[in-house]
Amino acid sequence: MLVSYNWLKQHVDLPKKLTPEELALRLTMSTVEVEGVNNQAKDLDNIVVGEIIKIKKHPNADMLKLVLVNVGKENLNIVCGGSNLKEGMKVALGKIGAKVKWHGEGELIELVKAKIRGEESYGMICASSEIGLSGLYPANSDKEVIDLGKIKVKNGTPLSEVIKLDDVIFDIDNKSMTHRPDLWGHYGLAREIGALYGAEVGKYEPPAVKEQKAKNKEQSFKLKVDVKDTELCPRYMAVVIDNVKIGSSPEWMQKLLMSVGLRPINNIVDITNYLLYDLGQPMHAFDAEQIVDNKKQITIEVRKAKNGEKFTALDEKEHELTSEMLVIANKKQAVALAGIMGGENSGVTDETTTIVFESANFDATNIRRTATALGMRTESSSRFEKSLDPNNAELALRRAVQLTLEVCPGARIVSNVVDESKFRQSTGLIELPFEFLNKKIGIELDKQEVVRILKSLGFGVEEKKDKFLVKIPTWRATKDITIVEDLVEEVSRIYGYDNIAGSLPSFPVIPPERNELRNLERRIKQIVALEFGFTESYNYSFVSPQLLKKIGIHEEHIELDNPIDKSRPLLRRSLLPNLLENVEQNAHNFDEVRLFEVGKVFWKNEPGERMNKSGDDLLPRQDVMLGIVFVKKGESVPFFQVSSAMQNLLMQLGCECKLQAKIFDPWIHPGRSAEVIVQDEHLVGAVMELAPVRQKEIGIDSRVAMAEINLSDLLEYIKDKNTYNKVALFPPVMRDIAFVVSGETEYSSVEEVIKKVDPLILEVELFDVFQGKNIEAGKKSMAFHIVYQSIEKTLESGDVDKIHEKVESVLKKKFDASLRK
Amino acid sequence: MKVQLEKIKQEFQKGLNEVSDVLMLEEFEKRFFSRRSGEMTEAMKNLKDLSGDARKEMGRLANEIKNELLEMLDQKRVDFNRGDSALLVKTEAIDVTQPKLPKQIGGHLHPMTIVHNELEDLFTSMGFMVLDGPELESTYYSFETLNIPATHPARENMDTFYIKDHSDWCMRPHTSPVQVRAMQKYGAPLRAVVSGRCFRNEATDASHDHTFYQMEGLVVDREISIANLIGTMKELLSGVLRRDVEVRLRPGYFPFVEPGFELDMKCLVCSGIGCGACKHSGWVETLPCGLVHPKVIEAGGLDPNEWTGFAFGLGSMRLAMQKYGIEDIRHLHAGDLRFLNQF
Repeated sequence: MLVSYNWLKQHVDLPKKLTPEELALRLTMSTVEVEGVNNQAKDLDNIVVGEIIKIKKHPNADMLKLVLVNVGKENLNIVCGGSNLKEGMKVALGKIGAKVKWHGEGELIELVKAKIRGEESYGMICASSEIGLSGLYPANSDKEVIDLGKIKVKNGTPLSEVIKLDDVIFDIDNKSMTHRPDLWGHYGLAREIGALYGAEVGKYEPPAVKEQKAKNKEQSFKLKVDVKDTELCPRYMAVVIDNVKIGSSPEWMQKLLMSVGLRPINNIVDITNYLLYDLGQPMHAFDAEQIVDNKKQITIEVRKAKNGEKFTALDEKEHELTSEMLVIANKKQAVALAGIMGGENSGVTDETTTIVFESANFDATNIRRTATALGMRTESSSRFEKSLDPNNAELALRRAVQLTLEVCPGARIVSNVVDESKFRQSTGLIELPFEFLNKKIGIELDKQEVVRILKSLGFGVEEKKDKFLVKIPTWRATKDITIVEDLVEEVSRIYGYDNIAGSLPSFPVIPPERNELRNLERRIKQIVALEFGFTESYNYSFVSPQLLKKIGIHEEHIELDNPIDKSRPLLRRSLLPNLLENVEQNAHNFDEVRLFEVGKVFWKNEPGERMNKSGDDLLPRQDVMLGIVFVKKGESVPFFQVSSAMQNLLMQLGCECKLQAKIFDPWIHPGRSAEVIVQDEHLVGAVMELAPVRQKEIGIDSRVAMAEINLSDLLEYIKDKNTYNKVALFPPVMRDIAFVVSGETEYSSVEEVIKKVDPLILEVELFDVFQGKNIEAGKKSMAFHIVYQSIEKTLESGDVDKIHEKVESVLKKKFDASLRK
Repeated sequence: MKVQLEKIKQEFQKGLNEVSDVLMLEEFEKRFFSRRSGEMTEAMKNLKDLSGDARKEMGRLANEIKNELLEMLDQKRVDFNRGDSALLVKTEAIDVTQPKLPKQIGGHLHPMTIVHNELEDLFTSMGFMVLDGPELESTYYSFETLNIPATHPARENMDTFYIKDHSDWCMRPHTSPVQVRAMQKYGAPLRAVVSGRCFRNEATDASHDHTFYQMEGLVVDREISIANLIGTMKELLSGVLRRDVEVRLRPGYFPFVEPGFELDMKCLVCSGIGCGACKHSGWVETLPCGLVHPKVIEAGGLDPNEWTGFAFGLGSMRLAMQKYGIEDIRHLHAGDLRFLNQF
């Protein structure tokens, strides 16, 4: 919101030496964030009145002109793209050194001498948006420059003198005052400033509105308002004023309105806009003739719209309403969308002579929802949705009538004053113990200073022994201030956070409880990335059904109700689909892609954590998974890269693991897939290759290996290593054995069998597997190193021979192995 | 005796000059120092035939000479080794700048992981627990417990992802639900940071993403004050940035704290004079924080008359982008190795 320094000064006596910049900082530190301070005159330095002498074509650009501009003593060559240039026109000329906003956007830029398409330019003919004067000189297009019209000043006169700009404008971040309905007008801010500087704030007490007796016995209007839903409209005030003469509003009002970016329209509309920015109370003025029932009877209904009811607003668009929306209607039709915008055919025009002022209060949530649903956020709706004080409706109406009677000397109040009001406000009292206040802030405050602060903000304060009884002012009572902590904030922010010295709380020295799952995630990331050479990817938690279809995954996924990326509405059940997409994309740039991700997945229909503190409702299960993918150009069996990484990883985590062949869903290679089993019986994941046909479907050229491990499950089986084997004193003996077995024989069972033959067998290591030449079809040759060792003695060759022979015979018996010598 | 020693010394010096390789040096050493028959060894043996002062004096002299000779021997050995090195340079030199072949692919951690690890370590060292909670969260924990009533704009569709057929489930829009879950689980006093993934239903561009990361701190104890919050935040930021920082509080509104603050830090680029990085204000908006709202304490199962606390939020994604100068937030979720391989 834009705030005018001059406007504020109408309400509060600012300290003499205060600068606008100091005030802006103080407001930022104690009340709302002031994002910008624009000194109007300063901003117009080096911008002067110029007169166009001559316009020529630009030799190198169709859209540009070479313009000769007189600025008093000299003529300047200017390259300009303005659409409304003509000779003899008076323009706002930015000379070299002037500060402008390029095309009305971004930061101010200082003009320098420039060559534009080969032609020199000594300044710029300004458009209104480029020098912040859109309110004063509205442009029809962004190519239109300011036309100063017929003004009687010498060329070269500073523009600021011509338009008499002497204000300073604050740009306040609206987000910083969403909770402060009282600050959406200058008066509310003036009250804050009064509290900050201990300055006097003028009272807001316009005279009460009373029907005026007609001079010539003309009948007065009968105004009736029927509020159908007092929850949605707690207060509705209205009055009819006759003999209004539509014209321009007074210059002082126009100037203030323009300073905050509003365009003056006519005296009545300007008065409502003035109150919008003065008190923060939106109002509306109807043309009485457009809404009368018959000659002197006006009936206004505040009701919910009918489903499908059509309404054409001042924006000339037709809106279709729902039964949740509130309208202002006469007997025939809706004439305004309550609190948002008036109707096209009922507003004030140049011909209007009788008006109805509306000053009302509407439910914040309802207004916001309607405005959002219709895409019509207006100055009015954005104020109502903050929960305005219903008392302001009356103050605004009084002031509006007062101004109208001033501006239109013949105008008269010609109806009863309607005040349909049904609202309750809870204004306390709140008990504020003095000690509580000091403890919360962390310093010792002066009691009288606390009282001064609260009173200056409009709170009623009664001192009682060690506490204050505090009454909330109505403009803070709509939702802003409800509990004692709110008062702590009021006192401390006005006192000044800068005046509170920091101090450290005293904590007991207790080591924090370990988050074992997070520690496991970190260890795994370190090992997989830094030891096994995989790179970590972060994918979205959302996955596309098209991708799942391509891969061939048909499981049911949890779905977003309102996805922003319509192509990814599903919540991932597995990390692999998005990782496979990563592989496809990276394969264009890399021959080898090794990626992993650690993240949460979402399983429909499986119970997870509690939804609330009590009750049995559960969220879906969300386990942390590790996903790995690997592809390398020309690698026909990438499986082992991933399977050995998995096995090594689990071994490092102190977890005994084995792979067990298993056929999964059809998108997974049926002959190259295994379950990962830890501590003999617990399934924690899978290692597999993608089925070749799916791999091609996704667009990956080489075979893809992948693995997924459930870390939430695995966590239970991780053991901190806490034993070691004594270093053997006696030398080991190594023997090799090679044999041919059926091709289907699994390494893991062979290894297990050999290990069980004798306790002196310490290690069994596969060093070769071979199929093809010299080996019968359907069979394979396997070769192992076997290490024999005793912890009691040096083994004799004879001892080893005996066991080795036993190994041979067991292999023959169990696997029908034929030994190769 | 003395004459004998002098003679040995002379012969040693003469002989050593003639030694021309390592093998000869070994022979030469044996000739003088062999335990059985070395000339020097023999001479030393003769010492026992002397008596009294003579024995003492000769013993000293013999030792002196022996050490002198051994030193000369060592020097000769070093000279020979130097000669060997010269040979090795010729025959066994390698290109030490060449990488190991075949090339080994190294892996990389995601920049967010690196930043989170650093922050988590820092907080752990200050006694904070590191927590996370469900990413698909109930509206109860996401909003109600955090003093965000059903009529609050944050509850409307525009900001939060909701789940189809479950109007009371959403993708958590902040990590704050874990504040309440933590209080319920661990009670008080409590010091915890929550770090994790959050979601907002907003269009993606270079500086906004619908998926982002937050790190949020919570301290619950007796009699926590605004002064405590100021003091702690200053220490924490100094720890995160590894230098002294100046902070200031100004009002900020968040439903789950009261009072709420925006914490600004004196610009580290210009030290507060004003520059482009701080939009010429001298201060950089750094993090939202505040004293925990009594309703939130209550939702956590604690008595707000007994327990108080403060909370603060760190946008760890922005921190990572600043740390590495990442210009487009979308890189972080693109899975592109050309980006990821740089960390």
